[in-house]
Amino acid sequence: MSNLRPRTAAGWTGLLAALAAAVMSFLPAVDAAARVTPSLHPSVQAAARVTPSPSPSVQAGERTVTGRTVIADGHVDIGPRFLDGKWTVQVRDDTVRPPVWRNVEDVVLHTVDAAKVKVPEGSQFSFLGKPGTEVWVLPQVQQQGVLWPGWNTQDPQVASTINREVTWSLRGVTGPGRFALFVNGDFGAPKVLFDGSRPYPQQMGIDLNTHAHGNWVFSAPGTYLLDIDISGRTLDGRQVNDRRLLRIFVGAGSPDAAFSVPAPAGFVAGGTTPGTGRAESGQGFPGWAWLIIGVAGAAVVVAITITVMARRPSRRAAAAAGKEA
Amino acid sequence: MHVLHRAARAGAAIVALIVLATGCAGGRDRAGGGALGVVTTTEILADLVKNVGGDRVRVDSIVPPGGDPHSYEPAPADAAKVSKADATFTNHLLLEEHSLIKTIDSNVRKGVPNVSLAEAAESYGANVIPLVENIGLDVIWLGLAVRGEGTGRGATRSSDVELAATDLEGPGELAVYLTEALGQPKVYFNSADGLDAKDVVALPPAAHTHVNWAFSKPGVYRLTLEAKLRNANTAPVPMGKGTFTFAVGVDPRTIGGADKATILDDGHTDLAVDLDGAELYAWTDIGRPGARSPGGAAAAQRKVPVKDVIIDVPNRALEKVPDDRAFSFLGKPGAQVHQLPQAVIGKHVHGEIDPHLWEDVRNAKAYVQLIRDTLRKRDPGHAADYDRNARAYLADLDKLDAFVRAQVAQIPADRRQLITTHDAFGYLAQAYSMTVAGFVVPNPAQEPSAEQVAKLTQTIRNLRVPAVFMEPGLARRSAVLTQVAKDQGVKVCKLYGDAFDDAARNYVAMMRHNATELRKCLGDA
Repeated sequence: MSNLRPRTAAGWTGLLAALAAAVMSFLPAVDAAARVTPSLHPSVQAAARVTPSPSPSVQAGERTVTGRTVIADGHVDIGPRFLDGKWTVQVRDDTVRPPVWRNVEDVVLHTVDAAKVKVPEGSQFSFLGKPGTEVWVLPQVQQQGVLWPGWNTQDPQVASTINREVTWSLRGVTGPGRFALFVNGDFGAPKVLFDGSRPYPQQMGIDLNTHAHGNWVFSAPGTYLLDIDISGRTLDGRQVNDRRLLRIFVGAGSPDAAFSVPAPAGFVAGGTTPGTGRAESGQGFPGWAWLIIGVAGAAVVVAITITVMARRPSRRAAAAAGKEA
Repeated sequence: MHVLHRAARAGAAIVALIVLATGCAGGRDRAGGGALGVVTTTEILADLVKNVGGDRVRVDSIVPPGGDPHSYEPAPADAAKVSKADATFTNHLLLEEHSLIKTIDSNVRKGVPNVSLAEAAESYGANVIPLVENIGLDVIWLGLAVRGEGTGRGATRSSDVELAATDLEGPGELAVYLTEALGQPKVYFNSADGLDAKDVVALPPAAHTHVNWAFSKPGVYRLTLEAKLRNANTAPVPMGKGTFTFAVGVDPRTIGGADKATILDDGHTDLAVDLDGAELYAWTDIGRPGARSPGGAAAAQRKVPVKDVIIDVPNRALEKVPDDRAFSFLGKPGAQVHQLPQAVIGKHVHGEIDPHLWEDVRNAKAYVQLIRDTLRKRDPGHAADYDRNARAYLADLDKLDAFVRAQVAQIPADRRQLITTHDAFGYLAQAYSMTVAGFVVPNPAQEPSAEQVAKLTQTIRNLRVPAVFMEPGLARRSAVLTQVAKDQGVKVCKLYGDAFDDAARNYVAMMRHNATELRKCLGDA
């Protein structure tokens, strides 16, 4: 719906806040980059080690941060929230402290080569390909060094105003290989939630106030575009829906390339957002103002990025936020 | 025809006006003289309509007395009935056989209200329960977590929190394990080969993970967990020790001290190590003991001290060990285990709700209000009649609700287990604090499998229920239940689900019977 249109600012205050947010967003990012992979203590190496899911619950009023971001490690969720009263699907980036939300179009989820596994013998997993073939799996259970994407319906306003459940729809996928999302049932048996080889749209229900993970599978390296929407019905009977383009880059190479892969015809457009994180359109904003703000925002962000990168090589590719609307 | 109909309607309205104006209460025109023809799918719905419509309506139920809406196939005469109706009411939500719904939808005249009560009643305050797809997943989601920063104790992000299973008391063995993406199990604790240095899991600070909990036999288990914080180059710091109680296949309320305990039987809970408080506890989103948040409304997480925790592992969680060497640590292939799964995704059928709303009397009240408003709109000339009838009937239903509540309240809390022929009593259980322990099949149109019968037998045996409940009209399904009950020496009682019989000819009588029967068969045993 409205996400097809370029965003416009809600007003000067929103803009200033967004600029401030853009600046702020890189401070926690430094912290995140500084986080080291916890090393195993020698005495417990034999024991099974569980990796963290740092923030199990979503707080009210978590910030939205804009600007292109590649996330390759740590915990993220896709989920709906109400932003200034508007139902909006975003990515909750839990790799920074405190966690922030990002517009879906601003994010590339990077599936690195460490996620490569071989399809096991037996018919159970044949939907992934022939036994022995290599596929990339972002697993349901977190694996160190590999991105851990899940989904949540824990935004307090979502949890308290939506009726029962939300519907997550997959409307289309493009990419160099196959895509599937499945969960492990009893004794590990796969239950397929989305399968790129089936007709669209495909739907699944997500209970309210839940947070879950699945196994994301890709059969070849390159850029995948997922046309998704999440919808629901409010307790007072209002239908809400938001459709977004999710970019996933698989394998070695430059994940930034995924930002410039155009959405095919029939897909939702996936333009990245300029300086404001607010999904509200409404009061228009003159183009010249955008230009000034965009350049200023970009300058600030670039400056900070350079500082950060100079201090420590960051695993996240941070790009300027100042794209023209 | 249409014009004539409207003229008749206008005439009726004028008559009604005159009646109102003259205050002549007994002057309502009789059925046949302009009464509304209403068609419902079931007798229960027909009874609700009768109570609202009074003699202003003629009501026909398509499913005959005692018939099963899940399997009734409509006859050509039913289509004719529908085509003459002035209003139709279905329950919908997969209660009725699909061809029955199709008969209504394709024969109802244009402009005639065709109301799906269960769906529309939500806006009248009906409480709906999502339809459970896999009851094995309708259990607590139990994980492990590390909470708190522990900075005062020297914890850093590279610290390890070692959680060890040091003791297990119980009739069988417990295995706690994870299955990875491609099905490989990874065992954290397994008592089958003794609890020792192997039965330790290392968690980083802020960890949160979900695992499978498999118990080899029913009964009460007490698992002692001990946590230590290990920082680089220092001796481990004790982080607390505690014993968690599990009620496996038995009613948790039968455990001593259960009245003061918090029974965790739903929602999401982690057994947590708190680095700041150096203690173990359960971190849960479940509300008050036994209470579910209606519609899954948000519930904040809270702490429950170890000594107050009873984790319910119901018979719904019975599973067979697969014939796969990787899972041989759980026992022989085909052996039964009670297993809390690591993921509960797919518990509900997407977008569908349990259709048996009327088993909660408050939901029947929502139906009644919706019926009233539909009749008022269809026949505005008699709106006052519908209002008056509905008001009186709603008052009766309030009394009925209180009666059911009072009857169930007399059953001891540890005996409120419901075993039935089909899954029709989720609302009864939720509204009146009972537990659905099991049923022969989810839908009476299905045949029970050998495995379902085995699971039912196991459930009856483990819970030692005094009685099971059959539904009149479901003779074939009841045969299975009757046989299992006989084998187990358990009484067979009667609960009304989707239909009346000769002993109960209306909704109030049916629900009064259900309440009294529950009290007699479970409470007085």
